[in-house]
Amino acid sequence: MNPSPFWNPKVESLTRPELDALQVAKLRRAVRHAVERSPFHRRKLEAAGVTGECIRSLADLRRIPFTTREEWMSCQASTPLFGDLLAHPREKAIRYHLTSGTSGKNPLRVLDSRRDWQWIAECWAVGFWGFGVRPADTVFFAFSYGSFIGFWGAHYACEKIGALTLASGNMPTDMRVRQILEMGVTTVCATPTYALRLAQSAAEQGLDIKGSAVNKVIVSGEPAGSIPETKRLIEEAWGAKVADTAGMTELGTICMFECSHQPGGMHIIEDHFLEEVLDPETGMPVAYGERGERVVTSFGREMIPVLRYRTRDLVERVPAARCGCGRVYDIYAGGILGRVDDMLLIRGTNVYPRAIESIVRSHPEIDEFQIVVAKANDIDEITLRVELKPGTADGWPALEKQLHFDLKEAHEMLRFNVERAADGSLPRFELKARRVVDQRKKS
Amino acid sequence: MTEMKDMLGRPATAMEAELLDVHARLLHLAQRTDLPPCVASGSEAALALTWQMANDLGFAVDGSAR
Ligand SMILES: [Zn+2]
Repeated sequence: MNPSPFWNPKVESLTRPELDALQVAKLRRAVRHAVERSPFHRRKLEAAGVTGECIRSLADLRRIPFTTREEWMSCQASTPLFGDLLAHPREKAIRYHLTSGTSGKNPLRVLDSRRDWQWIAECWAVGFWGFGVRPADTVFFAFSYGSFIGFWGAHYACEKIGALTLASGNMPTDMRVRQILEMGVTTVCATPTYALRLAQSAAEQGLDIKGSAVNKVIVSGEPAGSIPETKRLIEEAWGAKVADTAGMTELGTICMFECSHQPGGMHIIEDHFLEEVLDPETGMPVAYGERGERVVTSFGREMIPVLRYRTRDLVERVPAARCGCGRVYDIYAGGILGRVDDMLLIRGTNVYPRAIESIVRSHPEIDEFQIVVAKANDIDEITLRVELKPGTADGWPALEKQLHFDLKEAHEMLRFNVERAADGSLPRFELKARRVVDQRKKS
Repeated sequence: MTEMKDMLGRPATAMEAELLDVHARLLHLAQRTDLPPCVASGSEAALALTWQMANDLGFAVDGSAR
């Protein structure tokens, strides 16, 4: 077996100045490619007077205009189906995927060439190898294999690594659990929510997953993978280590991963992405350790160049030395901390869904939950609805009291309503969980 | 055709030179116009892989024949 802890030792062991120089060279190529091939980017870059030759240092990155999701959507709307963002004709593509777009929003459409598909798998492979996935592993994907890109690239990464790779698109939850046990699966991939759902199903079926061969659970798709309370719950339920990963359909793959040292955050795959952390209001860079919006430039995808894309994700970047693994890649401490626009303002107090989830997940008797915001007599009301695991109802009065207290304490004494929901009444999620219901937006 | 220095200006190692040579030869093969579908498609698929390996190691190479 290959003893290297790094998928790509040459690059992962570079010094910071060497990595910076590599990024400048890659950025120059990415800009050149965008100007030559993508009408969308050519228009914007010419207007800003930027060519590949202008890129001589990382500071030159700031001369490149931002790209927003709104621009991308409107270019798709004015030139269906793909807009004029594509750098190659559609004939070169081998894959088509959509964002998980809900609530009537138009989905974002992406195409990938053969080379893109290799690159997408490659970025996942950096992360999976970094967390310890090896050819001897059996990897199970609790994933629907539909039009949403989700774990598609991870599946191909596991094939590339040489692991035995199991798809389960056709299986209901209970069958997936039985398959994991029957096949001696060592690595399970799912959203954090669904990893908990699988564990719950195992308990309902009287099956012992804690004593199974599973020693790694790799999660993606929700910020919860880096919430310590949620992560601990998954680790305890599975008797396995949990690693978070994060990416986006716009990029086709993951841009960050948690290594086997579990440094309390995710390493940025900096030879494939150039990540900035900016003040979302001013667009100016923030310092290490300060919270800001992730803005990403991709070096990999040839069909869809992505330059300075405003992700709306909130992060805090810290130096690579925070982790003991020795990689040069910097870290997003605590993973994705939320979205620029997911803060709820309730009677003058800021409420972040992530903070509520940390409180909820510190009570393992809670199976599922929902946050409902509504107006009653012109006053904002926030209600936490929780569903209990079977056999835990006796503890409800004490739990209700504790939740009231914890939520209030964490939110400048803001009063929350806490309700118990009937068993099986709250929605369950296999893809991205959507637990906030803001009824104020409808009125 | 093949750049024998990586993007940091370092000369290719023996292993890297071998990889770049395989990539260049595949590119040459894939550009032929007399290939049967099994070889035309197979060489394009293989090129995506060799391009990715070269890219990983910091070499700027051409990606595909078409
Ligand atoms: Zn590390």
